[in-house]
Amino acid sequence: MSEHGRFDLEEIRALIRLAAEAELTELEVAAPHLTVRIKKDSGPAAETHAAGAASAPAPDAAAQAAGQTVAQERRYAPIASPMVGTFYRAPKPDAPVFVQEGDTVEVGQTVCILEAMKLFNEIPSEVAGRIVRVLVENGAPVEYGQPLFLVDPSAVA
Amino acid sequence: MFNKVLIANRGEIAVRIIRACRELGVGTVAVYSEADRESLHVRMADEAFCVGPAAARDSYLNIPNIMATAEVLGVDAIHPGYGFLAENPHFAEICQDSQITFIGPPADAIYKMGDKSAARQLMRHAGIPVIPGSVGQVRDEAAALAAAKQTGFPLVIKAAAGGGGRGMRVVQSASDLRRALGAAQSEAEAAFGDGALYLEKYLASPKHIEVQIIADGRGTTIAVGERDCSIQRRHQKLLEETPAVELSPRLRRALLRAAVRAAEVVGYANAGTVEFLVEGTNHLYFMEMNTRIQVEHPVTEMVTNIDLVKEQIRIAAGERLALPREVQSHGHAIECRINAEDPARDFLPSSGPITAFVPPGGPGIRVDTHAFAGYTIPPHYDSLIAKVIAWGRDRDEAIARMRRGLREFEIGGVRTTIPFHLKVLDNAFFRKGEVSVNFVQRRIDLADLRSP
Repeated sequence: MSEHGRFDLEEIRALIRLAAEAELTELEVAAPHLTVRIKKDSGPAAETHAAGAASAPAPDAAAQAAGQTVAQERRYAPIASPMVGTFYRAPKPDAPVFVQEGDTVEVGQTVCILEAMKLFNEIPSEVAGRIVRVLVENGAPVEYGQPLFLVDPSAVA
Repeated sequence: MFNKVLIANRGEIAVRIIRACRELGVGTVAVYSEADRESLHVRMADEAFCVGPAAARDSYLNIPNIMATAEVLGVDAIHPGYGFLAENPHFAEICQDSQITFIGPPADAIYKMGDKSAARQLMRHAGIPVIPGSVGQVRDEAAALAAAKQTGFPLVIKAAAGGGGRGMRVVQSASDLRRALGAAQSEAEAAFGDGALYLEKYLASPKHIEVQIIADGRGTTIAVGERDCSIQRRHQKLLEETPAVELSPRLRRALLRAAVRAAEVVGYANAGTVEFLVEGTNHLYFMEMNTRIQVEHPVTEMVTNIDLVKEQIRIAAGERLALPREVQSHGHAIECRINAEDPARDFLPSSGPITAFVPPGGPGIRVDTHAFAGYTIPPHYDSLIAKVIAWGRDRDEAIARMRRGLREFEIGGVRTTIPFHLKVLDNAFFRKGEVSVNFVQRRIDLADLRSP
């Protein structure tokens, strides 16, 4: 099975770390083929049950958590690969990368290069916002529809 | 031998090729469209890469993305299966230019056999019989009458730009021909925007018999055996068998010889199939050559014990043919194509989720499929969901096993062609081996399949 075919464990772990760093209680990433939803249960009941074998969040705690997260709930948009190729973050090996985490991008702005059959294709962003994550390593092969970057569309410059 | 083969196809044939690669110890790369993410070939391959959205032209026909996948994953060879890119000489050329082996014939052979009317001319020059007909197009009555002298009556008028039986009419005499010509011309004009016609000798009840050949590209071409594919509906094959019934040893030898000659004329290499129409006990006519593995290849495998897909891969890898010139055949094999179509409703495609799927088994039964319970048949591709192949020591045993197998086969959620096949297998004419390309039209009352 392809490790590139879908979100692998490493990618999901990275998303969980990302959610934790940003102190989000909920993170949903929608790619064409898969949606990953990470939800942190911050209610005290859930915490005490976490060590136990069977944890059932108390209904009132869940309702409380839902109320708290409305303000923080975010939905990040992926920039998906429009083709199959090799992913490069910079125009040349020693040149600076097109974008890095924290940068804001506009629609149409080049975010990476995909090389296929000796042709270098500049890939424009389809969304505007802040890059919150680069999901693919420089030089890795990517398939059609694979998420390359996560963008926070609410953080438009 | 190759290290890694990319399978540029989907469905049961992709699964079939992965199996052959695995037995040869060759790594596999599946490509798939967004509609096939949950497909069996994706699950079975060592690696899988999405190459585009559901529409075939954007995924399974997307040459740039398929070649990019081959490149980034470092494959040695591409197996095209059947359909999609299998008979595209341009694709075979691109593979060659990219130094990736195309598991199939040389681009030039695909090209020569691809233009069907040019191929018939080529075969005629090589001394292989083709259906007598007008040379080129017929535009007026005088030309038509001159052509009719060559072919004799009855003959069939066809639209040069046509296909699928539209614009076709059968005429019995010269006066008939004069009368029919104008109508056929305007019909062709209306249907295809081109009134050009051609004439061909009319065959009343021909059989469709084809010959499997294998060539190693080093001067050895062998005929592996014939298949009778006369059970068709609207030119779509539904049931195939081997050996062909009621075929005299003499005519059989002539067919095998003609097939080998046809392959040699175009410098063929790898596996291919030469299709003929056979009329009566003496006449064979070259129709066309399919320059790829065919859907119905398993019946030949069952009686010869030759793995045709593995042979394709071995030949492409440059190995010499390890087969005898005279292939021995044992018993009889039949294949039924199980399509997700409703025979009670004019074979209407029936896509959607398969709720139950229990394929048959037991002695002499082989099932090639990519379907499983929980699989959803996407509406974007062909309707073939399984091939049931039955082998028996003789035709009667093969028929009995097929009937038994099809009754065992449980498919829930979609309509299939199983009831149609059971009806064919029960038909007295079929059981006597009296088949022709008109069999379904003449002998099967499809209205009976309409359940109350």
